[in-house]
Amino acid sequence: MLFRILKNSFLKRPKSVFLVFLSIAMGAAVATAFLGIAGEVSHKMALELRSYGANILLEPSAVEGGGFLREEDLPNIKTVFWKYNITGFTPYLFGVAEFSAGDKKERGVVSGTWFNKELAVPGEETTVQGIKVIAPWWDVQGDWPAAADEAIVGAALARRLKIGVGSEVATTARGRTQRFRVSGIVTTGGYEEEQLFAPLVTVQELLQQQGKVSRVLVSALTVPMDDFGKKDPATMSKDEYEKWYCTAYVTAVAKNVEEVMAGSRAKPIWQIASAEGALLNKLNSVMLFLTILALGASATAVSTSLMASMAERSPEIALMKAVGADRFQISAIFIGETLIISVAGGVVGYLLGDQLAEIISRTVFNSTISSPLWLFPTAIISAFVVAIAGSVAPLRRALLVEPVRVLKG
Amino acid sequence: MAPAIIETNGLTRSYGDICALKPLDLQVPEGEWLSVMGHSGSGKSTFMNLVGGLDRPTAGSLKVGGEDLLMLSEDGLARFRREFVGIIFQQHHLVPYLTAVENVMLAQYFHSVPDEAEARSALERVGLGHRLKNRPGELSGGEQQRVCIARAIINSPKLLLGDEPTGNLDHKSTVMVMELLKELRAEERFTVIMVTHNQEVATWGDRTIYLDDGVLVREERMRS
Repeated sequence: MLFRILKNSFLKRPKSVFLVFLSIAMGAAVATAFLGIAGEVSHKMALELRSYGANILLEPSAVEGGGFLREEDLPNIKTVFWKYNITGFTPYLFGVAEFSAGDKKERGVVSGTWFNKELAVPGEETTVQGIKVIAPWWDVQGDWPAAADEAIVGAALARRLKIGVGSEVATTARGRTQRFRVSGIVTTGGYEEEQLFAPLVTVQELLQQQGKVSRVLVSALTVPMDDFGKKDPATMSKDEYEKWYCTAYVTAVAKNVEEVMAGSRAKPIWQIASAEGALLNKLNSVMLFLTILALGASATAVSTSLMASMAERSPEIALMKAVGADRFQISAIFIGETLIISVAGGVVGYLLGDQLAEIISRTVFNSTISSPLWLFPTAIISAFVVAIAGSVAPLRRALLVEPVRVLKG
Repeated sequence: MAPAIIETNGLTRSYGDICALKPLDLQVPEGEWLSVMGHSGSGKSTFMNLVGGLDRPTAGSLKVGGEDLLMLSEDGLARFRREFVGIIFQQHHLVPYLTAVENVMLAQYFHSVPDEAEARSALERVGLGHRLKNRPGELSGGEQQRVCIARAIINSPKLLLGDEPTGNLDHKSTVMVMELLKELRAEERFTVIMVTHNQEVATWGDRTIYLDDGVLVREERMRS
């Protein structure tokens, strides 16, 4: 009987049913689209943010003597649990040297590093690591070093030494001298402008520190820190520790990297990690807020349509009450109607929202996205929420209908 | 004399300053057909609404079938209406998008379980076996009123209330409806409260009470 009531009710009032359906479908579509691209937006933003600098610093542990890290351990970084989240890393070996070019001489820091190194790790895909990967904002006038005796010189140091692209700089340290051809002048806006950067192997030889590195900067995709992420792993239970370890908190990834670099201590670079986390949190909050706003607008539209419909149907409601329908039975009919419409609205809203997300992703990020599986039930649940929230006021009105007043002869 | 199915003591209904029904003491024996007459605004529909659990009194006591209606919650009154009362309205009040048989089944649905065969049989009893699938808009006034009667009796009520059930019908249809009610009452043995302003219709009952300005002014017993 309920089915007959609902079916006939739909067929006899197509206009108001369509309005409710449309409101629910629009709400579900916007929710699907926003939630669908939210993950993508976060991912893309996180990737973008990675270009603003490394977020993990690996240094020799003080306990281990505070000396150097081993270059031979570096490939291990691409074998860790979070290897796919590590977008790049680069080692540095620092030393104090005397630079001379022409009649200019100056003491400064020589830094050996990887610029654009192809790294083959057994059992893993070959990747490219180095400064070019983790610090793409470095502005190099000229070229990146391509040979063992080529170097890039920080803009401030180059100014003082009065050198430019193609000049030669003699670098002396520990009684040895290495002549570098300047392939480029680098501007970073930071302390790097005071240094000379040359291939790691050359600087190791110059400093007599073969196979050693001073520090490693790691760039990793991480999730924003929450209260759980901020807990000290040492105080965690086994289950908590596993959950923490398997969540891409910057601290968890740092710990993961530390484990494969002998004698190292990994520290998150909090200025970067916190700023990223705050930005991603804000971004997620905005997306969530917009979703809730869209669902709220839909619920209001549903409520308005149902209110008008209830006014039209008050004789019918009064009659049902007069023949003995109680509040539960009246509610069952009207909520049943709304829920059926919401299922249809949810399905259509999901399909529309999926397309909308695709269009947004293509337009804004120039990429395609595939909707996660959870989005379909989410769209249906969103439609339910909209339907129920939009039904509260009209249902209350229906329950207040007095048969005596409405059915008066 | 049969035990009273309706007992009122000082039953009063006011709407603000207006007293639609002044303290009324009345007993209606089980199985009686009581006609309630009076001019427009005399309080007859108010009385019927109170007895049918559609409205609440402002003072006095009201027992119907042993149930103190003043003590019932809103849902309790709904249960009382579906289990105890059948109502026939002047304007039929059928659900326009449901067929005749579905309108009858609606009362079954709220009462217990819809049974289409039983609903068909009720419509056949009121002479509408050939109009089962028609919607109210496709039926004449008399036919709609008979659907309303079938809906009112489908749950075997103890009390049948009629609020000017023939008010919109011509003489022929009026007689047909009244005869039908008489037959059904003989079979089902329910009590009838019939509100009317038509003297001829009132004579179909066992007793007629006259209300004027909310006061019971006269009572008349019909000869059988």
